[in-house]
Amino acid sequence: MSTNPDKLLVVNNLATTFNTSAGPLPAVGGVSFDLNKNETLGIVGESGSGKTVLARTVMGLQPRTNVTVTGSVLLNGHEMVGVSEDEKRKYWGTEVAMVFQDPMTSLNPVMRIGKQIDETLRVRLGMSKNDAKAKAIELLELVGIPSPSQRYSAFPGQLSGGMRQRVVIATALACSPKLLMADEPTTGLDVTIQAQILNLLEDLKEQFHMSVVLITHDLGVVATRTSRIIVMYAGRIVEMGTTREVFTNHRMPYTRALLESSPKVSNPSHTRLITIPGRPPNLLKLNQGCSFAPRCAYATDRCHQQRPELQIAEEPGHSFACWNPLPSKREAATR
Amino acid sequence: MSEFIRETELSQEALLEASMVERPEKNEPLGPLFWICVGWLALNIIGAIFANVLPVQSPLNQDYNFVNSAPSLHHIFGTDDLGRDIFARVVYGSRVSIAVGVGAMVIGFGIGAPLGMLAAYRRGRFDTFVTTVMYVLLAFPAIIAVIAVLSFWTPRSMLKIILVIGFASVPLVYRVIRTATLAIATKDYVIAAKVQGATDRRILMKELLPNIAPIGISFLLIGIATVVTLEGALAFLGLSVNPPTPSWGNMINESRTVLAENPWLVLFPSLALCLFLLCLNFIGDRMRSHYDVTEVKL
Amino acid sequence: MLKYVIRRLVMLIGIIFVISVGSFYLIHLLPGDPAAVILGTGDSPSNRAKLYKLLGLNKSIFDQYFIWIRNIVRGNLGISFISQTSVASTIRAALPIDLEIMGLSQILAFALAIPLAMRSARKPDGLIDRLLGATSFTLLSIPPFIIIVLLVLFVSIKLGVPNIGVASYVSFGTNWIVNLESLALPAFTLAIGSFVVYYRVLRSDMIATLQEEFITMARSKGISQRRIMWRHAFRPSSVALLGAAGVNIGGLLAGGFVVQYLLAIPGLGYTLIAAINDSDYLLVQGIVLVVSVGVVLINFFFDFIINIVDPRISRE
Repeated sequence: MSTNPDKLLVVNNLATTFNTSAGPLPAVGGVSFDLNKNETLGIVGESGSGKTVLARTVMGLQPRTNVTVTGSVLLNGHEMVGVSEDEKRKYWGTEVAMVFQDPMTSLNPVMRIGKQIDETLRVRLGMSKNDAKAKAIELLELVGIPSPSQRYSAFPGQLSGGMRQRVVIATALACSPKLLMADEPTTGLDVTIQAQILNLLEDLKEQFHMSVVLITHDLGVVATRTSRIIVMYAGRIVEMGTTREVFTNHRMPYTRALLESSPKVSNPSHTRLITIPGRPPNLLKLNQGCSFAPRCAYATDRCHQQRPELQIAEEPGHSFACWNPLPSKREAATR
Repeated sequence: MSEFIRETELSQEALLEASMVERPEKNEPLGPLFWICVGWLALNIIGAIFANVLPVQSPLNQDYNFVNSAPSLHHIFGTDDLGRDIFARVVYGSRVSIAVGVGAMVIGFGIGAPLGMLAAYRRGRFDTFVTTVMYVLLAFPAIIAVIAVLSFWTPRSMLKIILVIGFASVPLVYRVIRTATLAIATKDYVIAAKVQGATDRRILMKELLPNIAPIGISFLLIGIATVVTLEGALAFLGLSVNPPTPSWGNMINESRTVLAENPWLVLFPSLALCLFLLCLNFIGDRMRSHYDVTEVKL
Repeated sequence: MLKYVIRRLVMLIGIIFVISVGSFYLIHLLPGDPAAVILGTGDSPSNRAKLYKLLGLNKSIFDQYFIWIRNIVRGNLGISFISQTSVASTIRAALPIDLEIMGLSQILAFALAIPLAMRSARKPDGLIDRLLGATSFTLLSIPPFIIIVLLVLFVSIKLGVPNIGVASYVSFGTNWIVNLESLALPAFTLAIGSFVVYYRVLRSDMIATLQEEFITMARSKGISQRRIMWRHAFRPSSVALLGAAGVNIGGLLAGGFVVQYLLAIPGLGYTLIAAINDSDYLLVQGIVLVVSVGVVLINFFFDFIINIVDPRISRE
């Protein structure tokens, strides 16, 4: 794999398996994608699709014991798989940072928030106590926290959910990383706050010249804020492409089902919600075929027997994994 | 009391993702060691109850041929300075320890457990009143109370010991059972049963009791262990049963002065006591981690 | 926060009241005439008169209680008719010894438990963890009096060190080396029990804490493992440790008695037991009162500290 300087992140055949007492659990199986500088990539999937595990593995944050990771993750040319924790730690905070889902649990409840931001600055950048405090207050202001110098000494429990998430973001950005992984950053927040936080992330992305990986189950979130999307199911990528292409010309039936199942405000009232029949698969007992086949309306025999690999669609950069894909709208248009 | 943490290796997010998936229900296995301990305890209990009819010598019989002797064919564990067979004394001594341990816990649980369950279930004035009283009593260091009462309330007898320790343990049992019941009683399935019109009695028997039983039993076992230890300590203070009745505690106490000359005197009752305690603790602990799907903080 | 403190203080007063009543009543548990029993061999008309004056034994039981309380507040715990010394002064002489033993044992217990628990929490089910787990469980099942007996056997006989602690106690001021030597055995024995409790509590709490999300977040900031353990994981976990310490230390005061008695170290424990054997009931009563109140105060103190460390509790 060439280390293309424009590519911030190159993931190649990444697989994460947990060794549980019930057997090996392949949470992520053979994922490959890359990320350019200043790009926003969306990773979409239901709970259990492996998107969170993927995010953590890409960053190298997976637990240390009973986990096997294979493949390669090149972060700015540095390999993150199979290296020691000390190696990975060099880049944590300074080149890549993460925003977690639930700000109540991701902040240390007995430590003042100012200190939590300070910590990164002092430990990683070697700043002095006063410098770090000044910078921390600056960051708090940047993320939109009112009266930052007072809030500096607050405990997480004293802030509202939206504010806490802002603090988390401030902490993540403290050392100006080039890549920000946002794992369901708004899922636990009120709807009104969600938009604020997402806008904040966009602004900061511009300011800091970062790339952002936005992980969510909410298609509405990725629709307008990402340039590319990855759709995951049962630990694998089932469709990948530009946001526009995936939304308008998706080929994999799962993608369609996902899109259709989100309720639309524009629908007439009492429209029945469309659901995907069946349940997410048991990762401990994956079948040999396509993992979506048991729930797919278009499944053929081949789908049940052989796992489809990602194939390129007409537009470069758009790929999907399906033996019986939906007809391409492009093809229809050109006929 | 140990806390066996299962699957510390799985990070929370993987658990969340994997939990959407069917997982085989696997309780922490009891293990062979568990059953060995149960067997040992059973042996002790049988020995205690049937000591009269078993091929064991009299613990009071003084055999002048064998004074302070090491283990031999005549006396498996040796003899003490009065020629009494140590093995016999250990076996008979288990009676005291077991009787005190079980007896005290019967009182403690007999009073504390129903009160605790009732209070946790009914709440209200009854609960507030009883709980306050119990918590105040709990603050009073129990060991001191036991020592004090036993030293003042002479003449001593095993019954008195059982009574005193038993009553002293009521507040603690109350607290443990009440906390455990509270945890269960607020669960949705209990409230659901109530809404469906189940009588209180039925709820108590069918919903609460089966769920509290594991914790209760394991605490019971650990309680017995604590009481047995306490009896041993009391023996050292001269507050246990009077000689020549053997108890593990007073056997150890009497023989520590001659430790160098006759180590067997101390060794066997100590071993008997420690093994008994070890088994009790182990069983109690194992049961707790076996039935505890979520850690109930006591 | 203030409400919490006031609430606890009220409880404290209530508890001390109960203790005082309980301790007071002990004398009346005795069979027969309390005066005769208290005086024992010192029974004489003049002593009797003194006793009646002191305790008001000829008055109603309520009056007796108030007289007793009044005396205590003045620092007068009575006079032991057996030894002819004031109870208060006996206690005052013996108390520092208990405190020293407790202090030493706790220092030892914490010094061992904290680093070992952290080590185990970092690598649960590793070799060291399992070893320590089995060892601590076994130690848990060996009562302190047996440990003492075995230790004495081992130390004095096998190692040839002459009787430790027996009649060789001197105060710290006099000769601190001998002082430490004499208290080494009891401190060590008590430390073992405390160590086991602290190790297990801290280990399990830290394992739980280490699974929390904020630890992962701290990792993602690039913070070193060591710093995470001490600065992020330890603080929340220390609450559980303090809780255990409170309960444990409270029990130590009482539990250390047997150990003292066995080694003839003249602390409160030894004094209490000797008093029981001598039928010196006023002394017993005094010690029971002092120790009980002491334990309760310690528990209260620890509750207070826990509250400062983890402010969340008082907010509930």
